[in-house]
This record gives sequence, structure tokens and C-alpha cells, in this order.
Amino acid sequence: MSAETESSASGAPVFCAAHMLDSWDERHPQAAFTELATADAPARPDGMLVVAARQELTEFLRHPAVRATDGVHFNLGGKRPLIPLDLDGDTHRRYRGLLDPLFTPKQVARLEPAIRARTNALIDAFADAGSAELMASLCGPLPTYLFIELLGLPATDLPIFLEFKEAVVRPVGATEEEQQANMRAAGDRMYDYLTGVLAQRRAEPPRDDLIGGFLTTELDGERLTDQEIVDICYLLVIAGLDTVTSSLSCLLAWFAEHPDERRQVVADPGQLPRVVEELMRFESPVPLGHRWVTEDIEIRGRRFPAGSKVEVLWAAANADPSAFDDPQTVDFARPHNAHVGFAAGPHRCLGSNLARLELRLAIEEFLRRIPDYEITPGDQVVYTNYGVRAAIRLPVTFPVARG
Amino acid sequence: MRVTVDQSRCQGHALCAMHAPDLFDLNDEGHSFVIADPVPAGLGDAAYTAEAGCPEEAITVEPPLAHAGQARS
Repeated sequence: MSAETESSASGAPVFCAAHMLDSWDERHPQAAFTELATADAPARPDGMLVVAARQELTEFLRHPAVRATDGVHFNLGGKRPLIPLDLDGDTHRRYRGLLDPLFTPKQVARLEPAIRARTNALIDAFADAGSAELMASLCGPLPTYLFIELLGLPATDLPIFLEFKEAVVRPVGATEEEQQANMRAAGDRMYDYLTGVLAQRRAEPPRDDLIGGFLTTELDGERLTDQEIVDICYLLVIAGLDTVTSSLSCLLAWFAEHPDERRQVVADPGQLPRVVEELMRFESPVPLGHRWVTEDIEIRGRRFPAGSKVEVLWAAANADPSAFDDPQTVDFARPHNAHVGFAAGPHRCLGSNLARLELRLAIEEFLRRIPDYEITPGDQVVYTNYGVRAAIRLPVTFPVARG
Repeated sequence: MRVTVDQSRCQGHALCAMHAPDLFDLNDEGHSFVIADPVPAGLGDAAYTAEAGCPEEAITVEPPLAHAGQARS
């Protein structure tokens, strides 16, 4: 995931190659992504090469000369390489070896009661009202609360995290320079906050949470430094908060507008794991990442010169008709679904199993409590596709359960 | 029928273990490994589905589907 921006000739920030197509539609971006996936050697008007076809993407990411950074540009307001997103090769593998075991399906399954409880507590606040704006009342706070619990931080710090992730994912500013400056300022505040937390935690007895684990774990026989732990937490905060929030908003918006499919899921919640995978393919809430090419390479006959920065479009690969029959259709019974909604290659999403669990349980609980709902008549769902795709305004109306 | 996971390609998407839990499990790092080799009778379709559904093309089934189809026909 990256929130870097480029400026178009008009000066407006341009986020993604698909935004420049006539077929672009904020509500339904899938057609534009299919157009890119089927284009020959797509590139942006500024010359940046774009990888969009499903097969090319897999082979490109597998190439050892394809790297996460050039060692100068880091993701998401980071002043140092984010661990592990901005690292490559053996260094990257060492940290993934430390972090991957914390986020396996078995590990995250322990969080199920906490996820259900927090979801229900948030729904309690609006269940009797008959209407709600789900971004503010559920999708935004849920992953952030859960993440704070996971790290072992006080729930009263929720606003600090909500403000930070908003500033980094959707940076404010009229120009790219202003946006980058605001993003870095927010990043600096988060570094300071995490440094303060660590100092406090080192003075306390060890606790059984992620920070407690980082303080006692060893990598090649050595404890992690404060800087390493801060850099890991920074990445987890930014990767763990907005992505699940955005995904949940996209999925709940989709169910609001597809009552037949919603009733099918209400009648049989057992199919939710499959449903979540298909909707992650279709919505692709994290649409793209960037990679750097360190030497001249050729992938399926296409040249990528040394030093080029490449836009890798997970959302386009997920809408490629050569990989997915009828990609514009949501099909819960898709026989196999090799989607890259959680990215692919060595930097594939570290927290995907936690994200899946949160999405599945939040949707299951929401549909159990509120099986019938619709976008509030006269109002509308508002999507953003800048940075991450999300239903940033999701007003819904529903019958209030009696008794 | 044999099924293998190329550990140098597996990135832990975990889709194989989700869709074919009788054939694949995940190790402590969340990477897939085969738990039923050779593939037991009745799980052939699941093996080919897992192969086609792996985002990293890390799963290989022998014989390949085309040959198996010819063998069946």
C-alpha cells in the first residue's frame, strides 16, 4: 500500500492509472480496472509503467530485481523504512519470520470473542434508532478499538489513532508538497507517541499483548531495539486500521445495495469466508502498490528498465477476464479465486488473516442484528478511491427489532 | 496423484487451507504444507481447485489436469 501521489498536468493529484480513463467511475471502478488489465503494456501519461494483467503481476513480483523501495522513498509518511513493508531480501525475511507467526489463522482466532463483543457494543449504540451512518458508527472505530486492544494500549487513545490514519491515508493539502508535509508531520506525531508508550512499558512488568511480545522476543539472539519496535508498530497502525475500516465499509455498502445476495448470506452465514474472499476480489479496497526495478528485466516479453518505479494494480489484476470469468459479476460460487486483494509476492498483507476474521465476524454480527437494511432513501453512499477505496459516507435505514 | 507446495513461492495467502482443509495445513509462519500425500481418493477435484486458486502459483498437482482429463475420458 502506498499513499504517495503524483501531480497531473492540471496540478490535481493523480493517484492511479485507472483514474485517467474515460471509463473511470468512483462508484463502480471495476470496469476501468478491467480496461487496464486487458491493455497492452499500460503506462501512465507521466510515463510510469503499470502492471495490471493478472499473470504478468505474479511473474513480475516473483522477480528478484523487483523491490519494495529504492532505499530513498518510504511509504506512508515514514521517515525510516517501515518494517517490514520497506525492506527487501534477507532483512525482510528475518522480520517476516518474527511477525508472520503472530498473525496466522490459529493465532488470530483467539480474538473472536473480543471482535464479536466490540462489534455488538458498537451496534448497541444505534440498533434502536432505525438509521445510522455506518462509517462513523461502526467501520471506523471497530478495527481501531481491536488494534488498540491487540497492542495493549488504553481505549481512550482511540482519537489519536483515528486522526493519524486519516492524515496519512487521505493527506490534506492543495499540492503534492503540502500533502507530503502534512503526512510527514502526522507521521512524526505517531513516532513520538509510540516512543513514549515504549518508555512507559519498559518501566512496567511485562504484559501478554503485542508490545509485550516485541519487548521480550529475540531476533537472531538479540532483543529488538526501541527503534525497531516503533517502526514495526508504525507499520501495523497504518496497515491495520484504515484497510479493514475501508474494506468493511465497501462490503456493508455492497450488501445494502444487493438485497437478494444479502438474504442468501443471512440464511447461511457459513458461506461467509468464501463471500468475503469474492467481495475482496471485486472491491479490491487496497487498489495498488509501488515497486522499484533494480536492473533491466523482461517479464512476458515486456521490458522494465533499471531504476523504474512501477505501479502494480491489484484491483486491475482482480478484474482481469483472463483470470476471472465475468470479473464484473460477484459470484460467491466462483470455483477458485486466486485474487490478490491482499496483494501478492513477498510483501503480501501480513495481517490478512486478522482482516478476514474481523470482516467475517463483523458482517455476521451485523446481519444477525440488522438483516434488512438499505441506503437511506433520498441519501446516498459516497465512495472515495483515493489511496484506499472506502464508502466514506454510508447512511443506512433499517426496521427496528421489537421486543 | 501427488500435490506439492513450492515453499519458495508460498506467501501464506492461506486460500488452499481454507478451501481444501483435508489437503493443506499452515505451519507456524502461516505457510502452507501438504498433509495428505498422495492425494486420497475423492479429493482430486479439491487438489486441482487449490492449484488453480493459489495466487502465487505455488501448488502443483501431478498429473496435470489436461492429462488427468485424458486419462478419465
